[in-house]
Amino acid sequence: MSEPRPGNSSMSCRQRCASGLRTTGLLGAVFQNSSLGQEGAQQYLEPTAADSHREAPVRAEDWADPCREMMAGDSSRTLSKGSCPPGPVPDGVIRLYSMRFCPYSHRTRLVLKAKGIRHEIININLKNKPEWYYTKHPFGQVPVLENNQCQLIYESVIACEYLDDAYPGRKLFPYDPYERARQKMLLELFCKVPQLTKDCLVALRCGRDCTELKATLRREFCNLEEILEYQNTSFFGGSRISMVDYLFWPWFERLDVYGLSDCINHTPMLQVWMATMKQDPTVCALLIDKGIFLGFLNLYFQNNPNAFDFGLVY
Amino acid sequence: MSGDAARSLGKGSEPPGPVPQGKIRVYSMRFCPFAQRTRLVLKAKGIGHEVININLKNKPEWYFQKNPHGLVPVLENSQGQLICESLITCEYLEEAYPGKKLLPDDPYEKACQKMLLELFSKVPSLMSSFIRMQNKEDGPGIKDELRKEFSKLEEALKKKKTTFFGGNSLSMIDYLMWPWFERLDSLELNECVAHTPNLKLWMAAMREDPTVSSLITDAKTFQGFFRLYMQNSPEACDYGL
Repeated sequence: MSEPRPGNSSMSCRQRCASGLRTTGLLGAVFQNSSLGQEGAQQYLEPTAADSHREAPVRAEDWADPCREMMAGDSSRTLSKGSCPPGPVPDGVIRLYSMRFCPYSHRTRLVLKAKGIRHEIININLKNKPEWYYTKHPFGQVPVLENNQCQLIYESVIACEYLDDAYPGRKLFPYDPYERARQKMLLELFCKVPQLTKDCLVALRCGRDCTELKATLRREFCNLEEILEYQNTSFFGGSRISMVDYLFWPWFERLDVYGLSDCINHTPMLQVWMATMKQDPTVCALLIDKGIFLGFLNLYFQNNPNAFDFGLVY
Repeated sequence: MSGDAARSLGKGSEPPGPVPQGKIRVYSMRFCPFAQRTRLVLKAKGIGHEVININLKNKPEWYFQKNPHGLVPVLENSQGQLICESLITCEYLEEAYPGKKLLPDDPYEKACQKMLLELFSKVPSLMSSFIRMQNKEDGPGIKDELRKEFSKLEEALKKKKTTFFGGNSLSMIDYLMWPWFERLDSLELNECVAHTPNLKLWMAAMREDPTVSSLITDAKTFQGFFRLYMQNSPEACDYGL
């Protein structure tokens, strides 16, 4: 596929990438008859009067018991092989098994934060997994949610949907069944991005050529750009941030630190969306410092099991 | 006339008109397992619907307006809204229509159904590669992999101690998996469930469900279809009509 010609912003993304644009079976459906971008059609995302009093912002004292914070916060050391299994999940809190730099876990942390859900985080050393962790997930993956009834939920999208269903406050998925379906179709449109960004990162870090991979990634971004062009809304879900935006975000946050910023050079609406996302309080609160992320990546690619705790003060 | 047993529409056909009020339309193909998921849910919930079969070996030009890759199933409602991807169509029908609830209300139980579906996720592509295999020697390898996947499902059933994957009555997860198990016989893959007794019992119980049995296709018809389909015959999708 030929490189898109730079600097011709009057053309739509489709025209710029015409020679390489590969639509998926979903673009057509996703473009049809959505109420997005139309005046007064955002009701599905508006909370009702009953909801708004529950949308209390997260208070510092709600976040974590200071005594527990040392061992179970966003910034806690990972647990590794030989560690003691954690006790039961306390009442009133849900536990997330996570890893500070994992994009899939990042999705779940965004939803927990956005909904103001009281939670504790246990970080797992993914290169030196505790034996007990396989009782939480058959393959030792993160994220996994555990509640105080010992119920375990894994797969990042399933975990995020569960949180939206199970907890009150602002709904991140739309109420309208068609709009919900549309968010899921958008997620399908995005589904090649995680593996592609990972493949690009690995290729770059191993000094391999990744021109083809980056071209493929750009094509995927063009699909998303087309959606934003058509909808002409600030977010993928409409005028307010919603589930689909949070589900996409972790990979876009990582483009810079992975060395893939140039993959959005020809998708201006995607760039605007990213800038808007960075202003969201939830996204902002969980933004990972670039220097720390780079430190993690360096150690990770040296197979250093201390990678996951890079940047922790204690 | 548009029903489950209607001839498919191919190239040169007239595009269908708008979907009548009070009905929902599914673009389908009589032998497609993904489209069968949607038809099972439509039937199980008693949703008034019309079926338009698409000739997947000779797609109508207008169909690419419904789905740019020309895939089935696609739902179209009377507002002209289109929903693609079998799982998304099934969840949409569950949420948009009243009647029998196929998904549990409890958020955890709902999540369990989705986690179970992950366990099943390799089966469709494995069966597809079995159908399409060029060398007979690849057969045993694929069967081994299928057996592995089926053992995972067997474990899940054993742990639950219920007849169906969602409990003691049939629910969404059972319908979502069923179409591939319906095809085992016609593909001579029954041996892959030889050592999974709970799965065999589940299959027998599924066959007794009125919704499943009303949409069932027999092994011979499947075989006739597969033969023509692998030859890329434009007659394949209408086999048996």
